[in-house]
Amino acid sequence: MGCLPVTTSSSVSAPTSRLTLSPRQATAVRAVLRRYRGKGSAYLLPCLHDIQAITGWLDADLAAQVAESLHIPAVQVHNVLEFYALFYDHPVGRTIVRVCDDLACYLAGSEAVVRACAAHLGLDPEHGGTTADGEFTLEIHPCLGRCEQAPFLMINEEAHGFVRPEQVPALLGGAP
Amino acid sequence: MSNAPISVHLDDQIVRVPPGTTVLDAARAAGIRIPTVCYHDHLTANAVCRLCVVEWVGSRTLVPACVAKVQPNARIYTNSERVRTARRVILEMLASAVDLSEAPELQALLAEYGAHPRRFGPDAVRREHGAVKVDNPFYVRDYDKCILCWRCVQVCAEDVQYTFALGFNGRGFDTSIATFFDRPMPETTCVFCGNCVGACPTGALKGKREYEAAPVGTPPTHGASNVVPAVVRSAPGR
Amino acid sequence: MSYQPVLTARVGKINPTSLSDYEATGGFQALARAVELGPQAVVEMLREAYLLGRGGAAFPAGIKWKAVREAPPPKYVVANADESEPGTFKDRILMESDPFALVEALIIAAFAVGAERGYIYIRGEYPLAIARVQHAVNACYNVGYLGRDILGSGLHCDLEVRKGAGAYICGEETALFESIEGKRGFPRLKPPFPTEYGLFGRPTVINNVETLLCVPPLILRGPDWFKSIGPEKSPGPKLYCLSGRVRHPGLVEAPMGTTLRTLIYDYGGGVTGSGELGGVLLGGAAGFFVGPEHLDVPLDFDGLRRIDAVLGSGVVMVFDTSVDMKVVLRRIARFFRHESCGKCYPCQLGTQRQYEIVARLAMDRLRPGDLDALREIGQTMRDASICGLGQTASGAILSALDRLGYDEMTGRFARFNGR
Repeated sequence: MGCLPVTTSSSVSAPTSRLTLSPRQATAVRAVLRRYRGKGSAYLLPCLHDIQAITGWLDADLAAQVAESLHIPAVQVHNVLEFYALFYDHPVGRTIVRVCDDLACYLAGSEAVVRACAAHLGLDPEHGGTTADGEFTLEIHPCLGRCEQAPFLMINEEAHGFVRPEQVPALLGGAP
Repeated sequence: MSNAPISVHLDDQIVRVPPGTTVLDAARAAGIRIPTVCYHDHLTANAVCRLCVVEWVGSRTLVPACVAKVQPNARIYTNSERVRTARRVILEMLASAVDLSEAPELQALLAEYGAHPRRFGPDAVRREHGAVKVDNPFYVRDYDKCILCWRCVQVCAEDVQYTFALGFNGRGFDTSIATFFDRPMPETTCVFCGNCVGACPTGALKGKREYEAAPVGTPPTHGASNVVPAVVRSAPGR
Repeated sequence: MSYQPVLTARVGKINPTSLSDYEATGGFQALARAVELGPQAVVEMLREAYLLGRGGAAFPAGIKWKAVREAPPPKYVVANADESEPGTFKDRILMESDPFALVEALIIAAFAVGAERGYIYIRGEYPLAIARVQHAVNACYNVGYLGRDILGSGLHCDLEVRKGAGAYICGEETALFESIEGKRGFPRLKPPFPTEYGLFGRPTVINNVETLLCVPPLILRGPDWFKSIGPEKSPGPKLYCLSGRVRHPGLVEAPMGTTLRTLIYDYGGGVTGSGELGGVLLGGAAGFFVGPEHLDVPLDFDGLRRIDAVLGSGVVMVFDTSVDMKVVLRRIARFFRHESCGKCYPCQLGTQRQYEIVARLAMDRLRPGDLDALREIGQTMRDASICGLGQTASGAILSALDRLGYDEMTGRFARFNGR
């Protein structure tokens, strides 16, 4: 159809969030990118996990740097970020609360736990979301594989079983 | 492995074809028509649409004709009740989710299989993507018409162009074709080769001139053919 | 209940971060024995024991191992630890409590099939299991159980722990390969099967964690011992994930073929809630409901096939008569809507439409024709989807309607006063 146009129409550019990194985070990210340099597609998931452990999520610039470092197409990074529930291409809270609301947890009263979390954080109990101050993200999660400890929730990587709704404020601590 | 032709039972015929022939090609050789949507003669068959499924006696599930290879003495029914139900329900679900107004081949199939897309109710969720994306001088992207056949993604990637401008957003029902972080085409790796437009069967991708010129209701001039224009198998590389 | 646990023998009894604890309780004796016996004999033992895969599909492990053993290198071994089936938690407990056993089993697999590289793919929501297994792998490298020339046998084996990222579909073996390769977890078309075209396009053995953990005791005690446990057609020990409305939910190790009655009333201490059993979900969201009339059916691959149910991953989720089954079904439909990968049309579209209809069912707003549509969607997903996810996405819902006394006229589950 022809060559690249000289000018680009920016009218349809969607506003996307930018990630701001502290100098310490930026150094850590650079170290991860160096470690994975040239390693190829099979190291995409490990690389994204390592970067997210530092930054919480990836914006377009960082995703492009991952692609460049691994020597893979940028759109592949996009495809993978979009597919996996634990990868984020938008800002999320520093603390992610994952409340299991699947079958066994439902049978043990997870609905009340979800409501207690949502009420405590001021978020929607149907869909969760992120608090305005960016501190907390609430996810209503498919089965977390702790059915014998139902109802169950995770605060980042910290596991909490047999949760009662009245324990939620203490568990979530410094929330609004 | 011998290259001697093998016999398979296709409906009420016995067909002799070389080993390694797909059920679809065997059926074509026998004059039996099996409907296809995502399949394209010059692209990798991913068997995503499942419209070409057939009943293979002894198989637990139906089998996609575009990729399944015939076996000696296989007994295959290409148009059984079970096959027709699967095809009809797939078509009903597809038409209830996507705008097929510019996909005449699919409309013909809907009629042929007696599909009733409205059975899922007026509130059945449709895949809607807002305004047509007009972000470059060459083609537009109207994803309300996208059936996720993957052809555009494939021609943009290893099947033809090695450009990797197109990929996916979301998953499941909420999957859609996307660029890197939804950037406008000129800001991606797209080289405007046009292969994706030629491969699109539903008018989700079309030339900008055609899009601007066509008054509403004009029969489409694209997509009805199964031919990708100007396909060049380029060497791998960036 | 005189059965002596084998798979969970160390659970809670040893320090899971201590290699010496593991070795003091018989750890790595099976690897030494396997090296003595030679790879061919190990594969034969699996075949003779008729070890069936414990992840859900019940495929004979020995057949996979034999096929890969006979295939040309390079080849791979993979532990499928992407345990995500709702109601399943057995592999997590094994990895958290006895991580060295998984590592030893995978080294044996690599040795037996002639692979020099393996992966352990653990679901991302299991941080403790990931940490423990990674620690075990590191410890094994430090003492020479992994790396070059293991135990002076000339065997080389490298293992890598991979962390999943939140996608149920990646428990499907070919989707798991795609994920390790750095792609979306789209299942591949089969054939070709993993034994021929697996990870990185090479012959690959992929087994569930529990299946792998059957291997060390099987090697030490022999196939006859294995076959002496449970029924002839699906022998061996089995882990059952008991959850829901029972007094003592938890992991139960028992012989294959243990009955529901034994699990619920002996191990589980009986039904809670109303105290009256309404139904049981076997095999998880991808499984089927059965009613209380099946309390005495043996829970093994063969016995359950006869009543159109599945053992799957060993989920036994108990529902008493006070449960609102419609809300339960809505959750199952929501789960599949959320987890469909979107590759093939039947599942991509069917899980959405199924959810819409089941949501109406849950709100008592079914429309004429809805149930017919639900059944046809189910049949189409089962018949025409690419992988097991789509093929099983309607089973639990339709089995609940058919077997738990759902009355289309009143819109109620007769047996359940919760509606």
